Amino acid sequence: MPPNINVVSLVSIGRHPQSGRARRAEQDGRAVELGLTMVGEALTVLHAGNPQNPVLRQYAGMGLPSLTVLDQASSCDAVSVLLRYLRKNPTDIVLTGVRAERGESSGMLPYLLAEQLGWPLVPKVAEIVSVQDGKADVLLALPRGQRRSVQVSLPFIATIDNAAPEARQSAFGPGSRALFSIQKGDNLADDAFMEWKISPAKPRPKRLKVVKAKTAADRMKAATAKPVGGGGKIMKQESPEEKAQAIFDLLLEEKVIR
Amino acid sequence: MMLDWLVPTLISVLLVLASIGAVRRINLWRAGQAEKVNMLAGLLAMPKRYLHDLHHVVDRDKYISRTHVVTGGGFVLAMVLVVCVHLFGVDSKILAWALLAALVMMFCGALFVYKRRINPPSRLSKGPWMRLPKSLLTFSITFFVLTLPAVGVLPEGFGGWLLTLVLSVLILMSLSEMLFGMTWGGPMKHAFAGALHLAFHRRPERFGGGRSTGLKPVDFGVGVSAKEVHGVAKPTDFKWNQLLGFDACVQCGRCEAVCPAFAAGQPLNPKKLIQDMVVGFAGGTDENYAGNPYPGIDLGHAKGEPNQIITDGLIHPDTLWSCTTCRACVEECPMMIEHVDAIVDMRRFLTLEKGETPNKGAQVLENIIATDNPNGYAPASRTHWAADQNLPVMKDVKQADVLFWVSDGAFDMRSQRILRAFVKLMKAANVDAAILGDEELDSGDVARRLGDDATFQSLAKRNLATLSTYQFNKIVTTDPHAFHCLKNEYGDFGSDALQNVEVLHHTMFLNRLVKDGLLQLEPFKGGKVTYHDPCYLGRYNGEYEAPRELLASLGIDVAEMERSKFRSRCCGGGGGAPITDIPGERRIADMRMEDVVSTGASMVAVGCQQCTAMLEGVVEPRPVVRDIAEILVGQLVEATSISVKEEVVHE
Amino acid sequence: MSDFSLEEMLRRDPRNEWIARNRLHPLHDTVLSAEQGERRGPSGLLRKDPHLVGFIGPNGIKRIDRADVFSSVGAELAGKKRSTEAKAVSLPWHIVENPAGYIMVVADMVGGRLTRHDKDILGLAHQLATEKAAVAVVLVCFGESKETQFDLAGVDRLIHLAGQEFNGFAPEARLAALEQIETQFYPDYWLFPDSVNGGADLASRLAARLGERPATQAWQVNGTQTLCRGASSSVDIRRATPRILMLLEECADAIDSTRHQALPLQIKPLAALKKSNGSSKMLDRGMIDVDASAVPLAEAEFILSAGNGIHNWNQFHAAAAALGATEGASRVAVDDGFMPRERQVGASGTWVTARVYLAVGISGAIQHMQGIGQCDKVVAINTDAGCDMVKRADLAVIADSDAVLAELTKLANAFMASKQQTSSKQGEKSDAA
Ligand SMILES: Cc1cc2nc3c(=O)[nH]c(=O)nc-3n(C[C@H](O)[C@H](O)[C@H](O)COP(=O)(O)OP(=O)(O)OC[C@H]3O[C@@H](n4cnc5c(N)ncnc54)[C@H](O)[C@@H]3O)c2cc1C
Ligand code: SF4
Ligand code: SF4
Repeated sequence: MPPNINVVSLVSIGRHPQSGRARRAEQDGRAVELGLTMVGEALTVLHAGNPQNPVLRQYAGMGLPSLTVLDQASSCDAVSVLLRYLRKNPTDIVLTGVRAERGESSGMLPYLLAEQLGWPLVPKVAEIVSVQDGKADVLLALPRGQRRSVQVSLPFIATIDNAAPEARQSAFGPGSRALFSIQKGDNLADDAFMEWKISPAKPRPKRLKVVKAKTAADRMKAATAKPVGGGGKIMKQESPEEKAQAIFDLLLEEKVIR
Repeated sequence: MMLDWLVPTLISVLLVLASIGAVRRINLWRAGQAEKVNMLAGLLAMPKRYLHDLHHVVDRDKYISRTHVVTGGGFVLAMVLVVCVHLFGVDSKILAWALLAALVMMFCGALFVYKRRINPPSRLSKGPWMRLPKSLLTFSITFFVLTLPAVGVLPEGFGGWLLTLVLSVLILMSLSEMLFGMTWGGPMKHAFAGALHLAFHRRPERFGGGRSTGLKPVDFGVGVSAKEVHGVAKPTDFKWNQLLGFDACVQCGRCEAVCPAFAAGQPLNPKKLIQDMVVGFAGGTDENYAGNPYPGIDLGHAKGEPNQIITDGLIHPDTLWSCTTCRACVEECPMMIEHVDAIVDMRRFLTLEKGETPNKGAQVLENIIATDNPNGYAPASRTHWAADQNLPVMKDVKQADVLFWVSDGAFDMRSQRILRAFVKLMKAANVDAAILGDEELDSGDVARRLGDDATFQSLAKRNLATLSTYQFNKIVTTDPHAFHCLKNEYGDFGSDALQNVEVLHHTMFLNRLVKDGLLQLEPFKGGKVTYHDPCYLGRYNGEYEAPRELLASLGIDVAEMERSKFRSRCCGGGGGAPITDIPGERRIADMRMEDVVSTGASMVAVGCQQCTAMLEGVVEPRPVVRDIAEILVGQLVEATSISVKEEVVHE
Repeated sequence: MSDFSLEEMLRRDPRNEWIARNRLHPLHDTVLSAEQGERRGPSGLLRKDPHLVGFIGPNGIKRIDRADVFSSVGAELAGKKRSTEAKAVSLPWHIVENPAGYIMVVADMVGGRLTRHDKDILGLAHQLATEKAAVAVVLVCFGESKETQFDLAGVDRLIHLAGQEFNGFAPEARLAALEQIETQFYPDYWLFPDSVNGGADLASRLAARLGERPATQAWQVNGTQTLCRGASSSVDIRRATPRILMLLEECADAIDSTRHQALPLQIKPLAALKKSNGSSKMLDRGMIDVDASAVPLAEAEFILSAGNGIHNWNQFHAAAAALGATEGASRVAVDDGFMPRERQVGASGTWVTARVYLAVGISGAIQHMQGIGQCDKVVAINTDAGCDMVKRADLAVIADSDAVLAELTKLANAFMASKQQTSSKQGEKSDAA
C-alpha cells in the first residue's frame, strides 16, 4: 500500500452503551485502526471539539504520535470547520464512523462533507483492499457477513462499518504522551439542535402479532394467544424425522434458509 | 617446595579474578533502576535470613536441606580457613585441624549432592550443574591432602613432583569452580548473589515469618518524566535488586514443579523465565541453559541484551500471559525470588505501553474503564442481585459494624448464589452489615494483574474515597481477590479509609461467628468433601485454617488433596489467565479437578467465586463445587423453625 | 397437510355437505367451521352466505364462533390461505384520482420484494397522506422487482426504475433519479427505511444534495412532529417533521385493509445521469462470494454450533454446509482440537448475535451462554432434557445429535434441490442490493 497518500481519520467522543460514559467510539476507533494499518504513523487523526476531553487520549493510545484538534465547543457544528481543514490540507482518504454515538447520531456528517467537497462516499466499508493509480478497491459490508467490492477514485470519504477490523487496544503510556496540535475551531452553534427537545429514550411498543384483527374477539385472541414458537417448545417422543422437520420449519420461518 | 608458593599464588590469583568478576557482576546489577534498601541492616540480617528463612523453605525437601547445610557450611568454613592456612600461612595446628574437619564435612555433603545428581529429577537443570558435585568433591579432597602436612600427618614435601603436579591441577580446577565461577557465572554464583540477594531483598518483610504479597505500584506521579516508559521493557528497567535476585537462582526447578501453567503445557516455566532474565541483563543466549524449556518453545533461539526489549527475542509475550499469579513458585523458591513481581512488571509494559494484552484482555480493560466492571454491565445494575435481600446500603445508613464488599460477583448469576448464602448467614447471626451498593467499583484486581496499573490505581483511589465517607469496623468479602487488594494493596495510596478497619475473608468472619456460637449448624451428612485453597486466600494471605475449621464445625473431615494449603494447585482463574487464555495442552482447572477426584470426594468446597467458576467449568460428570458459605447455609438451623432445612445440593 | 386444501374446495363435496346438514354427525363442527362464511357456488365462484356464519350449538341455538376454537390446525392454515385470497377480492379500494401532492417512499426491496420495513413505511406514508387531501403515496424502487402485491401494501403510484444502471451498488445513478423526481414532483415527504440495506445511505445522499436536514431513526411521525432516536438510541429527540425522513422499523402499521392502484408514474429521462455516465467515481464490481463458513462468527446470522455431544464431525460439517450455516463451537470442542479457536462461542470466545443459534450437544455452561445472550432464537439438540441449553432454547429436541443432523441434512438437500429446479425453470437471476 503506498504510504504517500494522506489519510485522515475523523474521531468523535463515543458513549458506552451500558454506562453512558464517554469512550472511544466503536466505529471511529475502527476508522483509526484502518488508517493506521494503511499508512501507520503518517495518519492524521482529527477531532473537532474540546481538546481537553480525556477520551482523545484513548485514541492517542492506539499509537498516535499526535492528534489534531479543532478547538470548539462540543455542541457546535463540526461540518464547516472540518470542511475548512480538508480543503486546506491535501487529503486522499477520509475515514469516519457510520454514526456517532452521541448527539443526533444522524450519520450525516460524512455525507455533508462529501457533498460539499464533491468527493465520492463509500458507505459501510469493511476493508480497503488496495490503493493504486488514484483508485481504491474497497469492500462494503452488507448484512449477514456479505461483501461487495467497489472501486472508488481518490479522494474519497469512507464510513467504516462494525465489520471492519476492531480497533487495537489503547495503551495508557503513548496515550498520555501524545502531542495535540490544537487549531482554532468555528463555534458555529447548531441552532436547530438547540431547539429540539431531548429526553431519555422511551421504550418502544413492540409490534403486536401480525394477526389481522378485524373483530374484538380476534384482537382478544391475538393479545392472549401464546406467541408462536416462543416459550421453549421441547420435543421428546417424536421420531428423528419429525424433530428435524420441526427445526427445519423454524429455520424456514426465520428465513435463515433461503 | 613448589606447593609452598603455588598454592598461595593460585589462591590469590583466583581470588583477584573472583573480585574482578564480582565487580563486573555488581555492575551488571547496578544497571538496574535505583531502589532504596537499608544496606547495613540487610547485611547484618543476612545470616539470620539464610539460616532461618531460606533454610525453612529448603527444609521442605529434607534431603537437600541437610545436604546443603553440610556442604555449604563446610565450604564457607573451609574457604575461610584455606585463606588463613594456605594463603596467609597462619601456622596453627588447631586451624589446620579445623580446616580438615570442615573439608570432611563438605566432602560428606558433596557425596550426597553427587548422589542426587546420579539420577536427577527432571526439574533440576543439568549442564554445569552436573559438574558441581565433582568440583565440590575435588575441592575437599585436594585441600584435605594439601592440609595433611600442616597437621603433621604427612611429612612436608610428601609425594614428590607428580603429586604436586596433580594437586596443582586439581587446585586450579576446583578453585576455578568455587571462586572464579562464583562471580563469573558458574553454578556457584548462587552463593555470592544469593547471599547479597538475601541481604538486599526487595521485600524484607518476608523474612522472619512475615508476608509481603501486594504488588508494588507503578509511579505515575509528578516526578516521573514525560518520556518515561511504564513497566519493564528492558532488563535494565528492573530494580537493581530484582536483577540481583534473578542471579541467585540455583535452578533447582522447584518453581517449575509446582507451576500450574507449566503442567498444563502452556509456554511458561518459571525457572527458565528467571534464567532468561539473567541472559537478558548479562547478555547472551539461552544455549547454555540445561533445564526444561517453555513447553512448546525450543531452546537456543532466545537472545538478550541489557538494553534490548525483552519481548523482542528473549521472551515470547505468551509466556508472560500464561501466569495465573498463583505465587506457587514464589512460595517454593528456596532463594525467595519474586517471579510474580517480574512477570507483572513486564506485563505492565505490554499493556501500558504497547497495548498488547492478548485475547479478551483489551476488551476487559476497556470495560473496566467504561463501566467499572470487567464484563461491561450497566453500573446501575450492580445491586440488582440484592433486590430481595433487604440489605442496608451505606449511602443510607452511613455506618455499620460490617461492610460487606460484594465484588463483581454481583453481576454473575452463579456467584450471586454465594452472595445470597453469605447474606443469609449474616442475617441468621444478626450481623449489623451494610453494602456500598452501586457505589462499589471493581477492586481493580484483574486490571492490575493484566498490567494496567493506571486503571487499578484509579479504581483503588475512587474506592478508597467512597470508603472514607463511611464508618465501619470490618470489611468482609467473599472474593479473595478483592480481599487481597483491600488488605494488601490499597494501603499504598495514602488513604486512611481502611485504617483501624479489619479486612476479612468471609470464611474468617464466618468462623468467628461459629466460634461465638452465633450460628446454629447441623452436621453435614453428605459424602466425602475436599477443600480447595484459593491462591489469593492461602498463599497470598496465609489463611488455611478458617475454612477448614468451618468445615470441621459441620463435622466434615476434609479429605485433603495431595496439593493443599501452601502447596495448593491453582484453579487457573487468577491473574487474568482466563481472559488472556493462552492455549496449552490441558486446562489447569481440569488438572485441579483430577486432584479433587483422586481424593474420592463427591464435593469440593471452595472459598472463591472465581474458583467456583473455573471448577464448574470442567465438564461433567465431576464432583459438585460449593462455596463454604453455600455449604453452611444448607446446614443452618434457623432460629424460628428449626425443622426448615435447605437442601445442600441443589441439583 | 390438510383435508381442506384449495383444490378440494373447488369441487363440491357431497359428503361434506351432508355432514354440514347433519348436526349430530361427529365431524359436523369441523366441517362447518372450515366452511364458515363462504361457499363455492355450482360454478366454482366464491359465494358469501351470511347465514352460514356461525354454527348451531348443541342446544340448537345458532352460535358465532369468533374465537375460532373449533377449527383444527390444518383447517386454520387452509382457512388463512383462503381468507387472504378472499380479502384480495373484497378489500375496499383506496383511489387517488388526481394527486395534488406526493409522498415518496423509497423502498429497500431486498431480494426484489418489499421488506416488512418497507411496508411499515408505506403504512406511515398513508398516515401522513390523510393529513392533506388527494396525496398519493408513491413507491420508488430500483432494479429488478419480484413483488406482486404492491396494491395490497399501499402503493398508489409506482416509480419503478428497472434500468441496468440502477442495479447493485449504484448510489450515484439512484441519487440522480431521486433528484429528477424531486424536480418533477416536489414531493411533500421523502420517506426511507433507516436500514443497512441501502435506505439510510441513499437518504443521506439525497438530504445532503438537497440541503435538507433529515430526521434519522424516526419512529413516531405526524405532520408536525417527529420523534427520533439519538445518541446510540439512548435518547428521544422531538423535533419538527422535516421533509426527508429515515424511519425505523415498526414506525407504523403496514397497510392491510385497503387495496391501492399502484399505477405507474413516468419520470422524465435522467439528464443528470447521462452526464455522469462513464465518469462515475464509484464502480460496483459485484458481490464477493462469501461462503457461510467463512463469515466471521460475530456477523453470522445462522450458526450451527457443536459441543462435546458431537461425535461425528464429518457429519456436522456436512450439515453446516447443507444448511448454509456458519460453524460455531463450545470450548470443549475447541480444546479437544475438533474446531479452530476462532470458532469458539462464549465468554472467552466470540459473542454472537445470530438470528438463529442451533446448539448441538452443548450443555449450556454459563460461559457459553454469555456468548449467545443476543441471539434471537436458540434451538437445542441434546440428549439431556435437563441441561441449561434446553432450558434456554426456543425449540429443543431431545435426541442423539447424529440422528437429527442426518435428517436435517437430508431436508436441507431436498429443499435446495427443489429450489434449484424451480429457479432454473424460471431462469431467475437474483441480485440483492
Ligand atoms: C473462565 C472460563 C471461560 C470459559 N469460556 C468458555 C467459552 O467462551 N465458550 C464455551 O463454550 N465454554 C467456555 N467455558 C467452558 C464451559 O464452562 C464448559 O465447560 C463448556 O462450555 C462445555 O462445553 P460443552 O457444552 O460442549 O460440553 P459438555 O458440558 O460436556 O456438554 C455436552 C452436552 O452434549 C450432550 N450430548 C452428549 N452426547 C450427545 C449426543 N450424542 N447427542 C446430543 N447431545 C449429546 C450432553 O447431554 C451435554 O449436554 C469456559 C470456562 C471457564 C472456566
Ligand atoms: S505464579 Fe503460578 S502460574 Fe505464575 S509462574 Fe508462578 S507458579 Fe507459574
Ligand atoms: S527460581 Fe527459585 S525455585 Fe525456581 S529454579 Fe530458581 S531457585 Fe529454584
